[in-house]
Amino acid sequence: MKELNKNEYKSKWRIRPDGHDKVTGSLKYLTDYCFPNMLVGKVLRSSFPHAKINSINTTEAEQLEGVEAIITYKDVPGMNRFGLIFPDQPVLCEDTVRYVGDAVAAVAAISEEIAMKALSLIFVEYEPLEVIDSPDKALSSQMKLHPAGNVLHRAGYKNSEYVLDELKKCPYIVEETYETPRQMHAYMETEGGVVVPENDGKLTVYAATQHGFKDRMQLARILSIPESNIRVISSPIGGSFGGKDELNIQPYAALLAIKTKKPVKLHNKRTESVRAGIKRHPMKMTMTTGANEEGKLVGHIVRIVADTGAYATLGPAVLDFAVEHSTGPYIIPYVDIEGVSVFTNNGVSGEYRGFGGNQVTFALESQMDRLAELLQINPLVFREQNLRKADDPGPLGQRIVKNDGARSVLTMIKKSPILTQPLKTEPLNVKGRGVAITMHGGGLGFGRPDPSGARLSLTKDGEIEIAFGFEEFGQGLLGSIEIMMMEALGCRKEDLKIVIGDTDLVPSSGSSTASRSTNMIWNGIQKLKEPFLNKILDEAASYTDTTRDLLYLGGKGIWRKGKIDQLIISYYDLANYLSDKLPIFHTQFHFPTTPDAVIGGHYLYSFAAVAAEVEIDQLTGRVKVTKMDHCVAAGPVVNPLGYLGQIEGGAVMGLGFTINEDSVMENGRYHTQNLDSYLIPTIKDIPKEMKVFVDESLMEGDVFGPRGVGEIGTVAIAPAVTAAIHDACGLWVKNLPVSSEEVLDALTINAFVEK
Amino acid sequence: MKKAKVENKIDLTFELNGQPYHLTVPPTYRLVDILRTDLQLTGTKISCEIGRCGACSVLLNGKVVNSCLVMAYQIQLSTIETIEHVSHQSLHPIQQAFLEEGGLQCGYCTPGMIIALKDLLEQNQQPTDEEVFEHLSGNLCRCTGYTGIIRAVQRYREVVNKKEEIQ
Repeated sequence: MKELNKNEYKSKWRIRPDGHDKVTGSLKYLTDYCFPNMLVGKVLRSSFPHAKINSINTTEAEQLEGVEAIITYKDVPGMNRFGLIFPDQPVLCEDTVRYVGDAVAAVAAISEEIAMKALSLIFVEYEPLEVIDSPDKALSSQMKLHPAGNVLHRAGYKNSEYVLDELKKCPYIVEETYETPRQMHAYMETEGGVVVPENDGKLTVYAATQHGFKDRMQLARILSIPESNIRVISSPIGGSFGGKDELNIQPYAALLAIKTKKPVKLHNKRTESVRAGIKRHPMKMTMTTGANEEGKLVGHIVRIVADTGAYATLGPAVLDFAVEHSTGPYIIPYVDIEGVSVFTNNGVSGEYRGFGGNQVTFALESQMDRLAELLQINPLVFREQNLRKADDPGPLGQRIVKNDGARSVLTMIKKSPILTQPLKTEPLNVKGRGVAITMHGGGLGFGRPDPSGARLSLTKDGEIEIAFGFEEFGQGLLGSIEIMMMEALGCRKEDLKIVIGDTDLVPSSGSSTASRSTNMIWNGIQKLKEPFLNKILDEAASYTDTTRDLLYLGGKGIWRKGKIDQLIISYYDLANYLSDKLPIFHTQFHFPTTPDAVIGGHYLYSFAAVAAEVEIDQLTGRVKVTKMDHCVAAGPVVNPLGYLGQIEGGAVMGLGFTINEDSVMENGRYHTQNLDSYLIPTIKDIPKEMKVFVDESLMEGDVFGPRGVGEIGTVAIAPAVTAAIHDACGLWVKNLPVSSEEVLDALTINAFVEK
Repeated sequence: MKKAKVENKIDLTFELNGQPYHLTVPPTYRLVDILRTDLQLTGTKISCEIGRCGACSVLLNGKVVNSCLVMAYQIQLSTIETIEHVSHQSLHPIQQAFLEEGGLQCGYCTPGMIIALKDLLEQNQQPTDEEVFEHLSGNLCRCTGYTGIIRAVQRYREVVNKKEEIQ
């Protein structure tokens, strides 16, 4: 157990390569670009959550001076659909709108004012339809939102026919229904970018995405042009968290740029981002969980209903993930899980950090606490006696890489002062503390294409160039690549050139999602370093007439071992010597998957435990999390500053999910349209004391390297905080975000009982 | 980016980042657009546009403001400083502290954070945690969880303390 901080990691604690340009404001984000003759694009979005379109009249708007193009579905030359799994979302709606973010037309004009004015002059005749604003309504309605009906996806896992029978025999049973909110990514940089038509007929797309090649493929399909004619530049990004994986402004800017033959910039306003952008799936989860006299878990029945909104995006995979993670790191002999993802006229739900794990972990861990209380056992002891062992199978019964992370994080969190030291009492506040754990899969899972790749070369300028198709959206990818390269090759950062986020310059590496990038980068470098080192050293040896075994790569160039080591040739000179035969190595590989044919099943998992202390204001019911400790087991820490940032940032995002974030919708319309009513945590809302501890070990024979930690910091926060709320005031929180009214009610009841 | 043809315009004179500026713009143009669009100073970011997130913070006559809420006519004869000027000679110590302590990730809120902190630290080199929290509560960050930012302020205080000891 090691605390993750600067003192512990000393020289490994390194300033991020993109840091200087970010603190000085000199870094150009893709939404900061301007080009000569650039036009401003705007999208007209639906006036109704659900309606038929009878006509679209753009005549008046077209006559407005300064308007250079207006597009509707008629202007989409290729497939008028996009979507990462099923392309079901119209680029521009033809005859039906299914949510308030649906695009109906788009405009390019010489100024934003004119573009906005033009939008107001586009007349769309709608015929409003019944609004299906909840999964319950969708499941019972005759109204079909899509031709195949209102069910997007069903997923389940059942390991026995006798789950209910076994549960009935349990002396201790807890049954509860939990609901979680439609959380917004709330990245500070809203979706945007510029599409530039180039002189050679190609198109350059400067726009945020987590998967440049997938954007390129989808754009080629929409625009009906070859992929090779599209270049997607996708870094740097001002935050994503899963929210920019799906196409957003790219198709509109591209269509308008092609039509006007001028660069077109689109940058969503916050209110438009709220309306059109994807959110975390709201889920309703009913769990019935039973334990025997000895405090061993026996049975677990889970029913999940996910509100996927108007279009599919990654809804099916999110549901699969929720199903897989609804038993967590526990061994339960009788399990029966069913989930359904339902179309509605609400905002589109898609990918979001934690990917469905956050919702079910809240429910599952709450169940564990309730059972522990019924059994009158310490919640940690109860968890411990049901915890998976290192070589137990994964949650879907699949073989997974041996991992004792569950025990490790539980053992670590037990020592947290939050749990071991007595609570300080205060007159006006009540306090409590709680704990929760999680097990989280990395990569896309069995049966899903999840290839990766990398390229390592020596450039003509004498730089060691490493290229990946990943994107930097703040997670610290560039820093991690730099550190891994320096460790693998022994060179300095000045000798390196890192290339990412540009489809013309990088190999396809898969998406920057699912906590996979760090792991895939490490694997790519491991695969490429031997051939690269061999080639470089061979060439250096032959050029300098030196024994190969005495040579090694170092700062500036190749060094020879001796009494005093000497630089024998710089990278620059070697590159000059090699000029037309510069070494270049490629690798393509797949994210490791379980050998068992379990769709979506993961192979590599990481683990986390959270302890939280809360303070509740007795007058207002307001909950403040005052302390939080986080323990993570995800293999070696590659980039301590990046790792810590991901866990801390993830924890506070998880806190928002728990305490105050909710994209409130009614009749398919958002009430919370901007950051004044959608409240993400401010600096005043975070715990005063936060520590992160790590277990860096991998089990013997684990050759899979460091796991990514992009998601795991968010997952177990909610149940740890709600357990602490229960400890403080007796309330079992069922719905997130926590309601102050419910907390106040609980406090009132306590006061009454005490009297 | 061309601007619309609008009849009513005003002549503005102001000082930006130590340089005199003269512009003719509609009086209702927002400062954030003048900076980002007309002057291409894109270090000042745009996010909520209602004065809630602080990404567009600049110093107006030495005080932090949300430039999305400032109209062109309000900057007449004023002095403005943006993030681009904070490091015009070398990194400000608070920028250095942000780098060393992981006070940023995606970096989109960072210019606003630095501007808000510069405003505070110029008034008070040794702010208490409460004063820092109070002053930064109008600047939202979605990546860091603020912990790195708090570490950066602590680091800054240590550096200032050491300097004072030496003097």
